[in-house]
Amino acid sequence: MAKLTIDGKEIEVPDGTRLFDACREARGGRDLPHFCYHPDLSIAGVCRLCQVEIEGMPKLTIACNTIVRDGMVVHTTSKRVNQAVTQVLEMHLINHPVDCPICDQAGECGLQDQYMDYGLYESEVEKTDKVLKKKAKVIGPHVILDQERCVLCARCTRFCEEVTGTGELGIYNRGDRAEIDVAPGVELDNNYSLNTVDICPVGALTSRDFRFQKRVWLLKSTSSVCNGCATGCNVRVDHEGGRIYRLKPRRNDEVNGPWMCDKGRMTYKDVHREDRLDRVLVRREGELQPISWAEGRQELLGAVKPGGVGYVLADPGRSLEELVLIQRLATELVGEEPMAGGVSDDGHDEGDDLLLSADRRPNRKALAWLDFAEKPAEALAGELSGASGVLLVFGGDPLAHQALADAASRMRVVYLGTHRTATAEAADVVVPLSMWAEKDALWVNKQGRIQRGQRAVLPPGDAREDWRVLVDLLQSIGHDPEVAGLPALRRLVAARLELEDENLLNRLPEGGYAPPRLADAPTGGR
Amino acid sequence: MSREECKILSARFGRPDGHRLKVYEAEGGYQALRQVLGERQPDEVIEAVKESGLRGRGGAGFPTGVKWGFVPKDADQVYFFVNADESEPGTFKDRYLMDYDPHQMIEGTIISSYAVRANLAFIYIRGEFGWLIDRVQKAVDEAYAAGYLGKDILGRGYDLDMIVHKGAGAYICGEETGLINSVTGTKGQPSIKPPFPAVSGFLGKPTIVNNVETVAAVPWIMIHGAEAYRAHGTEKSAGTKLWSVSGPVKNQGVFEVPLGIPFADFYRDHLGGMRDGEEFKACIVGGSSVPVLTADEMMGCNLDYESLQEAGTMLGSGGMIMIPKSADMVELIKVLMHFYWDESCGQCTPCREGTGWLHRLIGKLLKGEGVPDDLDLLDKVCEGMGGLTICPLADAAVMPMQSFLQRFRAEFEARIHETATPGSPSRWARGE
Repeated sequence: MAKLTIDGKEIEVPDGTRLFDACREARGGRDLPHFCYHPDLSIAGVCRLCQVEIEGMPKLTIACNTIVRDGMVVHTTSKRVNQAVTQVLEMHLINHPVDCPICDQAGECGLQDQYMDYGLYESEVEKTDKVLKKKAKVIGPHVILDQERCVLCARCTRFCEEVTGTGELGIYNRGDRAEIDVAPGVELDNNYSLNTVDICPVGALTSRDFRFQKRVWLLKSTSSVCNGCATGCNVRVDHEGGRIYRLKPRRNDEVNGPWMCDKGRMTYKDVHREDRLDRVLVRREGELQPISWAEGRQELLGAVKPGGVGYVLADPGRSLEELVLIQRLATELVGEEPMAGGVSDDGHDEGDDLLLSADRRPNRKALAWLDFAEKPAEALAGELSGASGVLLVFGGDPLAHQALADAASRMRVVYLGTHRTATAEAADVVVPLSMWAEKDALWVNKQGRIQRGQRAVLPPGDAREDWRVLVDLLQSIGHDPEVAGLPALRRLVAARLELEDENLLNRLPEGGYAPPRLADAPTGGR
Repeated sequence: MSREECKILSARFGRPDGHRLKVYEAEGGYQALRQVLGERQPDEVIEAVKESGLRGRGGAGFPTGVKWGFVPKDADQVYFFVNADESEPGTFKDRYLMDYDPHQMIEGTIISSYAVRANLAFIYIRGEFGWLIDRVQKAVDEAYAAGYLGKDILGRGYDLDMIVHKGAGAYICGEETGLINSVTGTKGQPSIKPPFPAVSGFLGKPTIVNNVETVAAVPWIMIHGAEAYRAHGTEKSAGTKLWSVSGPVKNQGVFEVPLGIPFADFYRDHLGGMRDGEEFKACIVGGSSVPVLTADEMMGCNLDYESLQEAGTMLGSGGMIMIPKSADMVELIKVLMHFYWDESCGQCTPCREGTGWLHRLIGKLLKGEGVPDDLDLLDKVCEGMGGLTICPLADAAVMPMQSFLQRFRAEFEARIHETATPGSPSRWARGE
């Protein structure tokens, strides 16, 4: 441990701590001004803003490249430091276009924030004296570059070197002609390109998807978990007026660090897709017709009866709570065998060695924990051709497999889902469900970590909290699970998973929880 | 002191075929290497160099032996770099050393590499020195052929390979970490320190970078001893120094004199005074990156590290730019500010933006658009640059700028037109 004094406050930090981090601690969580420092990237030391005064050293020192020493006496707000920071900040601003009114970064911009702390002066530079560079240059499928706004902190170039190892971005030219760019013929098209937008402290790199969509100060943020694959990156859902505008990664060092992939970021678009189901549909005269919720509920309850249901099919895209309830319902309806946790052929694609998992379902691990087996489409088709009555499908799109569609053609298909899939088109009753961002739900990622996503927006139309629909169904067949609300539901789930504490899932830590008891459970459905 | 005395580095300057191995050998060349490899341990060489008081001649003046001593003793691989990227404006001594006597530098490099236990040495020559690169390469080839380089040098069990590397034309690659990065193949720009190259440099291994003039002095020190070297110069500034003198003096060129001689003597005896019709006004004594002194100040000081520092400037690279009365200081500083603006690598914000700002402000003065506040602004921009960056390039721009303003303010004021449209009152001028 090293003891040091920062701004008159004595603190003790582990040896090897960066002075930058020690200063944050001593300053009650307030960072030193900075652009280039990023805890997950190498030290660049180029923005020159985190200057501090260390007693006994003649010159000011940048805190990001200094390791604490026992007995250090450091000043972060002395007159000398403040003057240097003010001057360096002015250097950052002299060639900046100050086009905040049309800049997406406005409101979450490092330059703006630091100007409020250290600037608040008139410019010494005539607008006509500024160095002009390229604006609004498309450099990849997701990212657009404005070189004039860039402060050349080199975070994006370091990200592409050190995190993705793809090296698309470089700093070209030198002096005040230096600029971030891609080489001719190269695109910033790796699957993590939007992280460069996150770490860009100014509006130099902006998201083509989010550009000009919404002023950031109007957005509300909700913590959730990405449903794009089995990794379960922690995300922040930024939304306003019931509409999601973007997903941003939320740091979880056990899962995704500070990053997430571009594919995951775009999954919010599925929430607002045109083909979302928002009404109950029933097949009348060969066509699916929308009906009221009250009428639809009667249809659903009427179809889901013991003896009437021939097969129950779930999907690892459903939440942990839902899977527990679906499994219980299936057991009551059909007994042990004629059920499956999902179609094991579905939800696989190419993954990478960073975050994107080849398993594109957010909850396959939960199926494994519940011993709720997935089955291959071919095997399922065989089982279905021997079944009769109602085929009850929760999510996914099993009937996209022709063999399954054929096998199910003799059955009455009741589909509870989110989109107008092939299965919905083939169904006789269709009930709208909520998507991940529309509910408070638990997800088990591939590591076996239970993570909670919160409700950011309301589901469309008649869609409602999915677990209530399931409880309604259980009650109607005389097996009331007696859960009045989410806390009780999560106690039920905890009991099902035999967790040591029945309220554990009601008190999940921010970063989620991986139950040691289930650590050795198999990775996927059987 | 006569002009012929004390030729440690420049003995073979101007000698016909002085760059050839046989001429160098005939004059005792490579004897120092034979002696060192036969008789001395690497640490003894380091001690001898420490003892000699030799200081880095590239500009910083850091004691050479001390720098060598920073290499960790347990390093498995050490690299040695000769900095021949001579690009400090006003400096052309290394060019003479390589042109007239490349073997002296090569022998010095081999001994220096041996001292720090390096088995690979680079000579990094600025790309603009096209013919010199060929000349040095040929000398290296001769040294290989003669068994002074390669495996088991002179049968003494020491291996050293030497690569002549051509720079691509950037001032900043003369900064040692920029130089190392340039050889590595990454952008030629300085690295953040710590770590220092002596601990982690080329490919992450301990690396020593020394100027041409520094290593060129090593063979002489080995033959004649540290004591003999210290006999020249002053207590803290030992030995001799090459001065590259430009400007309208009677004798321009490279002069070797002991450190510590009075500038007035050097001016009289070696430079022969200014050309007829010119009057001595000022001097940038150590390459363009040091503060300018007035003629009066120069006439009062001695040419060594300490005296020049006391006088408010630095010995630097010894690139002595003599400025006559007829020169316009604003025009001159514009040339320098253009240089630093052009050469800033652009990494650190104060340097990247500050050099451009200074350049634009001087341009404004020269166009007759300057306002009185601009002079204070120049000063304040300098304050926002100095000492705040990774490498000294920002300081290198600030030192001439501030000293020009301080010592020749009247010439700047004369550039400010009374008719110029005043801008808004400056924040700096308001004292905020």
